[in-house]
Amino acid sequence: MRWIWIDKFTRFDSGTRAVAVKCCSASEDHVHDLYPNFPIVPNSLLIESMAQTAGILVGESRQFKEKVILAKIGKASFSRVVRPGDLVEFDATVLQLNEMGASIEGVIRLLSNGFGQPESPVVAQIELMFSHIDNNIAGMKFPEHNFVFTGHFTQLLDEFRNKPEPTY
Amino acid sequence: MKFNLLDTIDTLSDTKIVASKSVSLAEEYLVDHFPTFPVLPGVLMIEALVQSASWLLFHRSNFSKSIAVLKEARNVRYGQFVAPGNTLKVEVELLKETDSGATFKAVGVVYQPGIARGEQALSARIELAYFSLAEKSGDPNHRELDQKIIAHNKFRWNVITASGMKLPQGVQI
Amino acid sequence: MTQDEIYSKVQHVLVDALGVDDDEIKPEAALMDDLGAESIDFLDIQFRLEKAFSIKIPKGDLTPEGLTNNPEYVQAGKFTPRGLQEVATRMPLADVSPLKADPRVENMSKLFTVDFITKYIASKVG
Repeated sequence: MRWIWIDKFTRFDSGTRAVAVKCCSASEDHVHDLYPNFPIVPNSLLIESMAQTAGILVGESRQFKEKVILAKIGKASFSRVVRPGDLVEFDATVLQLNEMGASIEGVIRLLSNGFGQPESPVVAQIELMFSHIDNNIAGMKFPEHNFVFTGHFTQLLDEFRNKPEPTY
Repeated sequence: MKFNLLDTIDTLSDTKIVASKSVSLAEEYLVDHFPTFPVLPGVLMIEALVQSASWLLFHRSNFSKSIAVLKEARNVRYGQFVAPGNTLKVEVELLKETDSGATFKAVGVVYQPGIARGEQALSARIELAYFSLAEKSGDPNHRELDQKIIAHNKFRWNVITASGMKLPQGVQI
Repeated sequence: MTQDEIYSKVQHVLVDALGVDDDEIKPEAALMDDLGAESIDFLDIQFRLEKAFSIKIPKGDLTPEGLTNNPEYVQAGKFTPRGLQEVATRMPLADVSPLKADPRVENMSKLFTVDFITKYIASKVG
């Protein structure tokens, strides 16, 4: 299991708003673990997808110099369940941002369940807060290098910007 | 990896459950979270709370319904990290039960081996939706599916509660 | 803005940020000791106050830094007289008497009351 919970960015307005999508697949082992015969995407992982979308948005706004860590979830409210075959969108907007951290408002929507977008596409509404842990209030010490933004997260952003589309 | 976020159930009453999750460096997702600084992701702590609360609901209702999912998480605040070799102990207490589910308050404390005092890793309020598929769909064909799922929940319950079994003392070989 | 209006908005912010009930918010209530606030909540409260009152709160105004780990201000887990003076200087609107009465470092949390926040906001919005 890789800890990569978004597949690609579809929108990235630096410091303001980012939208990413994820294809939910039956080949993801964990969807079969909780309720066999009724594969389901755990809502906790949908929160993570939003956190990754928002975390990269917050990180990029300060040139990935801060260690951006999820510190608080004010509210995460779910109104529908996500299943394999669903295409899900994570839409994150920055509410506040400073050297200590950031607060984000996010909406998760079902873009398609294979048959098109359903009538009530909202999956969840989420309020998150990130802490820039080197500047944080609790006074803990961390490794110097930025372990949060290595490789994969910045690569997702590069792919959005450069949009490589190999054809055969 | 199996998406079972609880290793043992430590205590259980009609209104409260205490369960543990130990973190091992062998857990695959740690390679990405984070490279060189492996720690249990915060959302997996939430999942541990949700699974604990689900067991409490299944136990209370004698497995009468099949599915429990997170409906709302509120005021989830993260504190100390949970690193490999350490154990997260979650305490989930029922606040209110409704027709559609229940609300809980929860705390997670991280313990290092050999150190009695733990540190708070998270606190949260959660609400679970608890239902059967046939009830949601109105389709009686779903009853058989519900029964299969309930049977599986009971099987998993036996596995997780058996893990607290004491091993025989002094086995000579 | 009247003092009552400020207090009411501060109350709203704290209820949203801390998930407590309206009636738990009293002027003398300490955010950490009585309302269960944790360190991340202070940043959340700061963001919400900035938005609610359209102000900017400089770093260190609500939660002064560099006090508890400075040996000039804290010795053997207690604030020195110099330290108590520094606290009073950095938090002019706080009631420092609980800390003067018992200068152990952990008692600093008693200074962060609803009243302190209200007074601070009043000083910024006039």
